[in-house]
Amino acid sequence: MRILTLVRQVMDAQESVRIANNAVELDGRKLVMDTMDEYGVEEALRLRESGLQVDVIAVGIGPARVEDVLRTALAMGADRAIHVETDTALDPIALSAVIAKIAQSETADLILCGGQQSDWDSQGLGAAVAERLGWPQATWTRALKVEANIATGQHDTDDGVESFQVQLPVVITTQQGLNEPRYPTLPNIMKAKRKEIRKDSLDSYAVTPKVKTTGVAAQSRQRLKKIMDGKDASAAAAQLVHSLRNEAQVIQ
Amino acid sequence: MSTAVASFIAKRTTGGSFLIEDLRPEDVFTPEDLNAEQQQIAQTTSQFADEQILPAIAEIEAKNFDVTRKLMKQAGDLGFMSVDVPEEYGGLELDKITSALITDKISVSGSFSVTYSAHVGIGMLPLVWYGTPQQKEKYLSKLASGEWIASYALSEASAGSDAMNIRTRATLSADGAHYLLNGEKMWISNAGMASLFTVFAKIDGEKFTAFLIEAGTPGLTVGKEEHKLGIRGSSTCPLILENCQVPVENVLGEIGKGHQIAFNILNVGRYKLGAAAIGGARNSLRDGVRYAKERVAFGKPITAFGLVQEKIAESAAGIYAAEAVVYRVVGAIDAALSALDKSAPDYTQQVQKSIEEFAVECSILKFWASEMLERVVDHTLQLHGGYGYVEEFPAERAYRDARINKIFEGTNEINRMITTGWMIKRALQGRLALLPAIKKVMDEVMAGPGERNTADGPLAEERAILASAKKLGLFCAGAASQKFGMELGEQQEVMGMLADMLAEILVFESVVLRTEKMQGRNGLAVKMAKYYAVRSFQVITAAAESLLGAVAEGDMLRTQLTIFRRLTKHEPTNKVALGRAIAAAIVDAGRYTTQGSAT
Repeated sequence: MRILTLVRQVMDAQESVRIANNAVELDGRKLVMDTMDEYGVEEALRLRESGLQVDVIAVGIGPARVEDVLRTALAMGADRAIHVETDTALDPIALSAVIAKIAQSETADLILCGGQQSDWDSQGLGAAVAERLGWPQATWTRALKVEANIATGQHDTDDGVESFQVQLPVVITTQQGLNEPRYPTLPNIMKAKRKEIRKDSLDSYAVTPKVKTTGVAAQSRQRLKKIMDGKDASAAAAQLVHSLRNEAQVIQ
Repeated sequence: MSTAVASFIAKRTTGGSFLIEDLRPEDVFTPEDLNAEQQQIAQTTSQFADEQILPAIAEIEAKNFDVTRKLMKQAGDLGFMSVDVPEEYGGLELDKITSALITDKISVSGSFSVTYSAHVGIGMLPLVWYGTPQQKEKYLSKLASGEWIASYALSEASAGSDAMNIRTRATLSADGAHYLLNGEKMWISNAGMASLFTVFAKIDGEKFTAFLIEAGTPGLTVGKEEHKLGIRGSSTCPLILENCQVPVENVLGEIGKGHQIAFNILNVGRYKLGAAAIGGARNSLRDGVRYAKERVAFGKPITAFGLVQEKIAESAAGIYAAEAVVYRVVGAIDAALSALDKSAPDYTQQVQKSIEEFAVECSILKFWASEMLERVVDHTLQLHGGYGYVEEFPAERAYRDARINKIFEGTNEINRMITTGWMIKRALQGRLALLPAIKKVMDEVMAGPGERNTADGPLAEERAILASAKKLGLFCAGAASQKFGMELGEQQEVMGMLADMLAEILVFESVVLRTEKMQGRNGLAVKMAKYYAVRSFQVITAAAESLLGAVAEGDMLRTQLTIFRRLTKHEPTNKVALGRAIAAAIVDAGRYTTQGSAT
């Protein structure tokens, strides 16, 4: 069985966001594997450890620096990696076209990817890949087992949990609670050095994004610096309620 | 498994040569030279520290040793403790840069850092270096996996810095099967959780020897935990040996040569302490900056104030300098080790000899980095104001925890004496061309004003000041030996002043080389380098002035002061503007960084 696990590189959640040249500045910021995707890598490794004959391929699409997260996936235990190198920013629909082609050429049986991007919040990638391949998808998975070409598991719905069963091939999107991703061990980091990272150019996939990001703005917290005179307590309370209702609009 | 991950090999240098030899940037290892695997190891270690150690700090500090043991086991499972262990015993046998890097990145808690360092350093290395195949077989994998914790017992109530003075005695049992040890050890790190102790005793009161003693051996008692100022989550106890029965096969190394084990291990302990100080300082600065960004006074976050920015800039520049000097020295050690033949029967002896070659640098890293850390934790506490003085914030703990670093692994005073003493010894042995260098500088400065060194690039001015600093160092060493001759070693204050000058020259040069190696690509790094250079030269000139005052008087002093003024002449740097720019970048990042876009 061949599993593709999709990994994206995002800014560490603890880093402060800064805009430069109409884009989020990534220079000098700590970049990591998207945690949502990390659950996918971990799950692929667990499927292998459950006794299945599994080939785990980490796939990353983006600039040269994406190699770092592919190395992390390899150090966690993935067998090899494919890096489609491009400086062009791809939206989830464009990304899905690249991934579908890789899935076909690699004859993948299972694709794992994060349920949601932790930076731009899109939930579209898993669904778009499934649509292009004509495969079923199970989203927001919190438990997964694969036996004899059948995947069973549980996924979250708005009101609770559903159990599912689906025949491979399938796209599964992952989320927190599915597992606890491992740290790469030092011996595995050293072993990963010799694992293959295949470099493809985006040109060979003939994919161009239809959506272009034309500008970004970061939310900033600003204090109104209003001080209310509390000498007349009831007047101050009334003023506070007025401000909260009409200016801050936090109460109805 | 491959044996080394170092892709960059620093120029082979000899210990102490920094004073008389000028290196090029490409001759030294810098943190920017870490290869992909080393970076990944650093990242994994940081992640482990932030996600596993930091949340457990309250439990660690409460001496819940089960939590510490569990973390040690996890660290062992990840391979952190196998770095210095030979492959044939299941280790990774990676380079010393990687080993220092793990020590650096794991050091977010003073207590855990001490437990960890005592285990992998003084705990395990004597066995790695001196153990028989049987001893290694029996103990190494248990220690490398973190299943067992190791402890090293040398100090006694009346033998600390003068370790050769220990009173613990060993006598061979009548049947020749055991040694019986009697005595009391003090300040033993990890004692309360260790499974294996390396204990030093004198056989028949004479032959200084090391013994491996398993916990639970009859006659071995671990005393009560000490109540300490800091690192309260680490274990420190006395060890009582009453007719403790140690099988003869547990003698470690040669009988009567235990001092080699005791002393050689110290060099490693010292450079690793330097690495741990970097991690501690980085973590403390992050706490300070995070607090300062949130704290509002007079209607603004306090990071808007110049004196707050100054503390942040000083801390960041100190860390930048520490990274430069620690990784430079460890890189030089790796370069020396890489030339050794691993299959040689005396390989481990060669390793120790190669490391001993850098004893002066190791001592400098120890005292200089512990004092850098002290300044950073003090700044962080001060940034917190009153909140820094209460236990709710980590600033208070870091401040207490840092203090031990000036005491253990040889007090900073002992290490200052070693620093200057080692240089003198090497010079007298003719192994370091210090005397000709001193003579040359003496002749040059006595001849009148010479040409000032000129250099190019953003650090041209610093290059010129560094050249003057080296001359000043040599000049002062010459002036001191003229005055005291062979008695110089007895003049501890003067030896200390020379040690401060030597340390700052080494650090200053490392900062310049690291920054030049980036080829001006990094504005923030250049600013931190310039900022640190100011401090460095101030320390050097203050020490030089005090030294001259102590070694000369009258006309002689006036002549020397003329030379002093000539060598220290320079235009002051605008430290205020630099400090503000550095602080802005650090505040923006919310942590120490070299990558910020300082404007």
